[in-house]
Amino acid sequence: MSADLTWMIIRNNSCFLVKGNGRCYSKEPNNLKARNSLRYSGLVQKKTVGVEPAKDGKGVVLVTRKNKTEATPGKSYTKVELKKGSRQTLQTISKTLGKTKYRRDLRMSAMRRACAILKSQKPVAVKKSFRKKKE
Amino acid sequence: MSRPLVSVYNEKGERTDSNVKLPAVFRAPIRPDIVSFVHFQMKKNGRQPYAVSKVAGHQTSAESWGTGRAVARIPRVRGGGTHRSGQGAFGNMCRGGRMFAPTKTWRKWHKRININQKRYAMCSAIAASGIPAIVMSKGHKIEELNEIPLVVNDSVQEYKKTKNAVTLLKRLRAWKDILKVYSTKRFRAGKGKMRNRRRIQKRGPLIIYGQDNGITKAFRNIPGITLLNVSQLNLIKLAPGGHVGRFCIWTESAFKKLDSLYGTWKATSQAKKDYNLPCPKMTNTDLSRLLKSDEIQAALKPVIRQTKHRVLKKNPLKNRRTMDRLNPYAKVVRKAASSIQKNRRKAKDDALAIKRGLKPAPAKKAPAKKAPAKKAPAKKAPAKAPAKKVAAKK
Repeated sequence: MSADLTWMIIRNNSCFLVKGNGRCYSKEPNNLKARNSLRYSGLVQKKTVGVEPAKDGKGVVLVTRKNKTEATPGKSYTKVELKKGSRQTLQTISKTLGKTKYRRDLRMSAMRRACAILKSQKPVAVKKSFRKKKE
Repeated sequence: MSRPLVSVYNEKGERTDSNVKLPAVFRAPIRPDIVSFVHFQMKKNGRQPYAVSKVAGHQTSAESWGTGRAVARIPRVRGGGTHRSGQGAFGNMCRGGRMFAPTKTWRKWHKRININQKRYAMCSAIAASGIPAIVMSKGHKIEELNEIPLVVNDSVQEYKKTKNAVTLLKRLRAWKDILKVYSTKRFRAGKGKMRNRRRIQKRGPLIIYGQDNGITKAFRNIPGITLLNVSQLNLIKLAPGGHVGRFCIWTESAFKKLDSLYGTWKATSQAKKDYNLPCPKMTNTDLSRLLKSDEIQAALKPVIRQTKHRVLKKNPLKNRRTMDRLNPYAKVVRKAASSIQKNRRKAKDDALAIKRGLKPAPAKKAPAKKAPAKKAPAKKAPAKAPAKKVAAKK
């Protein structure tokens, strides 16, 4: 079943769909922006990109879908753990998606998501307050 | 339409050597609208009648007091000695009166649905159960499943113990769906709680078998599981809530029977008289491939990559360049006009100078002489160059 056809069935009828405040989101895995759209859908497309935090809380996992594995959900994803550091993580993502042209349209979204995850994994910086102490 | 081979899995969740060609039903068009409609109508067939009591509101001998008593003419309860006496009765607007249009038990509770519509809905529901994206969007946890559609050995039909059933589901990686059912066990919101519908939970996998040799008893106690015989498939079980995409586990004999039950487009169904699968409206639904295909690209106009930006309209009456672009002769006219004006001015000044007894001013040199002056050094340069070249050659 083509992505377009399945999308027409799922677009307004899915357990992952979240509607509220005039906005529409989709909670499925491998949706980089949690956006309910055909392009970003993690269910319907044959090639999907997902960026998830690594289980131990450090680093990021890049998930891509294998070719011709639509009927076998258990074996259809390749997960690559990127733990080296933000610069190298982003470069890896950029090159994987850019040079191989695997979902090139999602390159920036994947990088942004990785950035957001990495930032959340950093310890929260204590801000210096420049307020004068009241006497 | 492609009909790949589907592997059959054994009790340990391993692929066996046997394959079954995907039944054609799984390639039937998926029509959620038809499924929704048929499901809605079918659901009505399980209803129990409700009605108010036949005598409700009429168990009084009330009569209207008529006019002239400074009260509304509604029938009023007879007698005295109680609050009830003199109160309005019978009307739907009266307290303790009969309702408007009292509900009757002979309301038509059941719905007739066209056979073809029912079958179309069934085909759509079965087809949708074979697409992982749709099953996932229905909410089933099938991320770890080995294959969809999931077909299991016929030995499962002989199961007698729930323990074996549970092991099977775990081996098949379908247990996550059951865990989902466990986690959604809760009390119903609303009055259903006191009407024998206290607890609710999500639906789990649907197991479809060919022959019941104990499988029903083995699986029925596992929460969320529904069991169906392939010959008696039920749309309400296959598309709960009217939404397609229930997670189905088929036994091998059940899976093989589907072609004879629903037909393939090449052969009519053997079980249903003169029935064949519905035809899809589009054979190729991949929009991106269609748009990139040679047939369509050849028929399109060439792409216009250049974007035209909005050009600010300039007033030709004020802007000389715009005027000249629109009317090239305007330049000539302007020049002529300015030269005429100059001559007139000059003539006027000369006349005035003569009157004053002065010499008339000499005519100004034309500025066009600049051009030959520019050309002269240019002409000199090529003249120099060949001389240089000749010198180099020597």
